[in-house]
Amino acid sequence: MNTTAADETVAMDSGSISLIEVCGLHYRYASGSPVLIDINLEVSAGEIVALLGPNGAGKSTLLRLLLNELTPESGTIVGPLLSMKSGRVLMGYAGEESAHFNSLTGIQNAHFFARAAGVEKDEVSEVVSGLMDLVGLSDEADKVVSSYSFGAKRKLLLLEALVHQPKLLLLDEPTVGLDPISRDALAHILSKCSQEGSAIVMASHDLNFLEQLADRILIIDKGRVVSSGSQAELLSSLGTATRFQVSVDAAAIELPQYFGDNVELVDDSGPLVFETTRGQAALPDIWAALISARVKILGVEVREPGLAELFRRVTGQELPE
Amino acid sequence: MKLLVAAMEFRLALARPRLLALNVMVPVALVLAISLGGAPVFHAAAVYTVLFTLFGTFGSSIPLVRDAESGLFGRIIRAGVPRSHFLLERAAGGSAIDALQLLPALTIATLGSISLNEWIRAVLVLWSSVWIANLLGNLVAAVARSLAETALFSAVAALLLLHFSGVFRTPSPQSSWAVVETLSPFQALHETLFAVLVGTSTEVPLGLVLWVLVLPTVTVLLARPITRSLRATRDG
Repeated sequence: MNTTAADETVAMDSGSISLIEVCGLHYRYASGSPVLIDINLEVSAGEIVALLGPNGAGKSTLLRLLLNELTPESGTIVGPLLSMKSGRVLMGYAGEESAHFNSLTGIQNAHFFARAAGVEKDEVSEVVSGLMDLVGLSDEADKVVSSYSFGAKRKLLLLEALVHQPKLLLLDEPTVGLDPISRDALAHILSKCSQEGSAIVMASHDLNFLEQLADRILIIDKGRVVSSGSQAELLSSLGTATRFQVSVDAAAIELPQYFGDNVELVDDSGPLVFETTRGQAALPDIWAALISARVKILGVEVREPGLAELFRRVTGQELPE
Repeated sequence: MKLLVAAMEFRLALARPRLLALNVMVPVALVLAISLGGAPVFHAAAVYTVLFTLFGTFGSSIPLVRDAESGLFGRIIRAGVPRSHFLLERAAGGSAIDALQLLPALTIATLGSISLNEWIRAVLVLWSSVWIANLLGNLVAAVARSLAETALFSAVAALLLLHFSGVFRTPSPQSSWAVVETLSPFQALHETLFAVLVGTSTEVPLGLVLWVLVLPTVTVLLARPITRSLRATRDG
């Protein structure tokens, strides 16, 4: 086992000290191809790191490795101890499953998980009811969980991950099942956690949520980190060019050479992909050039520079819904 | 020690009144049928022993595998409950609830043929036996990969131990089997029930004391692989 525990006093300090360091991490399932290849990651106190990638890229597996639930094939994870000497658990995790004690109420569930994570008996009621208000579960707190909607169960799961104010919070698709109000409330809570020194690592396909919160984004594809950096760094790598993807009738295609000023045809292997620094103002020129060449246009898609476009260019795939 | 898991077992039992009522009434109905049917005492004691043992083993293993499959088990361990605490507290809470649920059936089975002291002794033997059965259920759950396997393995494990405990054999005190029976976990329950029904007394239940002490120790020592195996149940 290559996972080691950092000194817990170090882990408790805030500031620029690393809460978790992953170095040269490789992981594969017992009888399968590699799931993660040479992952390097350092997360500091107060930092919010987003993992972005297609389904099956290895994001959830990386979170489970950080939780110390899986053993890496090679490489090291240096992270905080699961429990502190005071008895409070340092990590919080909300995964994709939202299993609860279904015959008990939401508040009974939350109390159990809070106490299990080390929240003292005399403060648990106050902490839980405060979070219930924040995530919008107060009205359902005394209802049995079996009567909860999917969204309410997800809110309860997130509450239980947050209730002990963990120093490292690992979240797998945290916005799944949340309505816009709850999603904004979660963003507010996570932002506050980060300001108070908690590090957050989350895997999500919710680009608006990531753009709102993430200090750093790692794009993972086929088990490798294919791009990483702050949003500004990643987007600057895209340049300011707008792309148009034009689907045409391939049977009758004879392409012109000129599509307008500062417009370049960058890919004609499938749908035609044009790049321009003129933004959407270049579209009529492209349109006119194609029509004059008697190319039958089937559809046009505009791709402004952004995380979705970056994801597409780096992975060659659309972001899952 | 917070005893969160044991307390949760009680909360869960009280939150499901229908299941609670069924768990009391079904053993009572079976015991009544045997008592009123005039079954021979030796057979009656054997049936009661099988009933009470399976009640404990199935009642422990099946919910544990169900919770492992749903991911709840993993969440509880991840939340910070130590593995061995979870397994021991769950068995402790479960056995106390089992004993309470079986109390009416035991009382009916022994009605009219027992003094208060003997009844208390029988209750303690029953509680200890279902404690062993609950711990056994934890171990069975760890090797099963589905609810069907859990039911099968629970039945096989309990029936084998009942066999070694001499429940299904005519007693033969001079044979070498007698030593095995003395050291087996459920002989005490069978002997106690038999003694109560015929109005005699029993020896100190050596096998029971041994298993009451050894099985929790084994559980603590194996807590990590048991937990790993239960988590693997979810991963398939």
